Amino acid sequence: MDLKLFLATLAGKILAFVIRLFGSGATAAPGLIALKIDPNFVRKLNRKIKFGSVIVSGTNGKTTTTRLIYDILSTKYKVIHNRQGSNLLRGIASTLIANSSILGKLKFDLALWELDEAILPEAIENVSPKTIVLLNLFRDQLDRYGEVDSIRAKWQKSLRTLPKNTTLILNCDDPGISILENSFAGKKIFFGVSDSKVKLPAVVGVADVKHCLVCGAGLIFTAQLSAHLGHYRCSNCDFRRPTPNVSTVNLNFKPDFSTSITLSTNGQTLNINYSLPGLYNVYNILAAAAVSSHYNIDFSTVKNKIKEFSTAFGRFQKTKIKDRKLVTFLIKNPAGANEVIRTISQLSKINLLVILNDKIADGRDVSWIWDTDWEILKDKVDNIFISGIRRFDMALRLKYAGFKLSKNNIYKEVNYSILNALQKLSTKDTLIVLPTYTALLDVQKTLNREGEKVAKWQKQ
Amino acid sequence: MAKTMTLNICHLYPDLMDTYGDKGNIIAIQKRCQWRGIDVNLVNISVDQSLSDLEFDLYFFGGGQDKAQTVVGKDLQKKDGVLKKAIDGGAVLLSICGGYQLLQKYFKTKTGEIIKGIGLFDAYTEGSNDRMIQNLWLDLEENLKDEIRKIYPTSDKEQLTTDLIGFENHSGKTYLGKNLKHLGKVINGSGNNGEDKTEGAVYKNAFGCYLHGSLLPKNPHFADYLISKALERRYGKVKLKPLDDEIEWQAHKLAVDRTRSQA
Repeated sequence: MDLKLFLATLAGKILAFVIRLFGSGATAAPGLIALKIDPNFVRKLNRKIKFGSVIVSGTNGKTTTTRLIYDILSTKYKVIHNRQGSNLLRGIASTLIANSSILGKLKFDLALWELDEAILPEAIENVSPKTIVLLNLFRDQLDRYGEVDSIRAKWQKSLRTLPKNTTLILNCDDPGISILENSFAGKKIFFGVSDSKVKLPAVVGVADVKHCLVCGAGLIFTAQLSAHLGHYRCSNCDFRRPTPNVSTVNLNFKPDFSTSITLSTNGQTLNINYSLPGLYNVYNILAAAAVSSHYNIDFSTVKNKIKEFSTAFGRFQKTKIKDRKLVTFLIKNPAGANEVIRTISQLSKINLLVILNDKIADGRDVSWIWDTDWEILKDKVDNIFISGIRRFDMALRLKYAGFKLSKNNIYKEVNYSILNALQKLSTKDTLIVLPTYTALLDVQKTLNREGEKVAKWQKQ
Repeated sequence: MAKTMTLNICHLYPDLMDTYGDKGNIIAIQKRCQWRGIDVNLVNISVDQSLSDLEFDLYFFGGGQDKAQTVVGKDLQKKDGVLKKAIDGGAVLLSICGGYQLLQKYFKTKTGEIIKGIGLFDAYTEGSNDRMIQNLWLDLEENLKDEIRKIYPTSDKEQLTTDLIGFENHSGKTYLGKNLKHLGKVINGSGNNGEDKTEGAVYKNAFGCYLHGSLLPKNPHFADYLISKALERRYGKVKLKPLDDEIEWQAHKLAVDRTRSQA
């Protein structure tokens, strides 16, 4: 028997029990203590998982994609995943502790890990994944993650160490992701959008890949769908968008924030209507469909699970407070925020509350709001409300985007901003709330207190 | 009323040096001119595009990723003469982070690689292991304070401050030559190198600094100073119409407050 492993599991379990007793949300703590006792804790337990692990990473969409994959794979496997928030190694450890016995016996046969892009290399080393899904790379919280180029370089180095029986699932529309195929000799599955235009307003995008990552010449985009995502080829060498194995056409985004698409995989084609908004969720669905096809899940099951799916923790959430409708979209970086803005710009009349915080989890640098194309909303917004720690930076951004602001609509307190904004609207109006990450926690508090009962996100 | 004035702006390498939200500086200058009835001409100039047949009042050069910096550094050598001539002729230039570094003599990376700059600023930068990432607050150099006081049109003298606030994110440490003036003294943050309390550089009307944020929207006095200096070359001393900068100063103050809570 492995004494270290036993002690690590025991300590983690005791700590998890105590935490539950006091109702605290410190979900990473049991994992942290287990890793302190046995640094190889994750490595040892992962080795025992019957069908191995699936890893999901990328700047945007990993939480939604992972949950969707979880719903689909759970129809065939006993799946666990680090749903409770922490996407660092300690989050994996905590999830393993919760799902294994004291003697290290596992209560599942497949593990699904959502991982922070910065720790992907470390996780690959510990988890030895069977499948890796890489969604996209955009500039994000430069104060925490550093530049896109340097993250990609670390990924490339890590992917070179993978055994050949691993499967890599890559977004072929992101040249910064498709280039990764050169770093790996095993099986690759590509997913992408085949439409060459999307019916959403164009934004002045920020593209993080403009030049060929092989030779440095300019990239030619025959279709630019979102930031640097699209159909591209190098103007000089033979680097080009790979043909997707899993693809979609006929994207139709509806004003009620539902979407319909035609999805194709392995020669099978399927029309799906589902209740998630925006192009970014199309990519999340494509990634999940690619994983499902790789794990031989029946196509009709995939369709049903996509239709039934509702997103995670405020990424897109419809709710009500006293008969007034609210729709919340998390914003956290220019690429993601631009997609949200494109999506809501389909409404003819918009009542908007933007909440900008600058805590560590939001990114302490708020410069990114200047890379976000608020301008396209200016003629559609009826009422604009602003809150959060950096509310005046946000107000300034909107002022320079041409919005008419009222000083009375800028609030220090998040809870107050929501209730006051709602009060100024008629019951027919919908308030669109765009909070950054830590602001979303405050929004949830208000919704939990004032609104319809929302499922507690902490619960599995 | 005299005929409408026009401000000609050149955004240098906007496609490559666009990582840190510095675009807000261009927006701020455009809007603050438009609100005063000053026309703005904006031209983007990037790799393999010549500067020589064009004349600009104001140049802007932002920050980008390391890889982009290498590409831009090479191309910049071809624009060296034109750019220096423009600055010597009184044109205004604002450079931030990567742009600021490339206008110095050289940048020596951590691995010892040398990226040649054009030496507009008598300074150099060396890569380090220190991450200088935080809100950066500085007290402007005395001379500049006086000039800004004369130029910035405010009806509320109380509100006028002579500091700058932004967000720095760099690991390169910049050291200024003996005769090169700094932009200001660091109150909170690291600045040029985290050692000598200086931040930024000033050569004639060319400015370099590490202030993202975006810088100019929440430092309206500095934005107006750059605008008025840029117009002065062709129109003589210009009196700028005052604007309602209440939100600008609120954002400024709130950001300054955040420097007090950082470690």
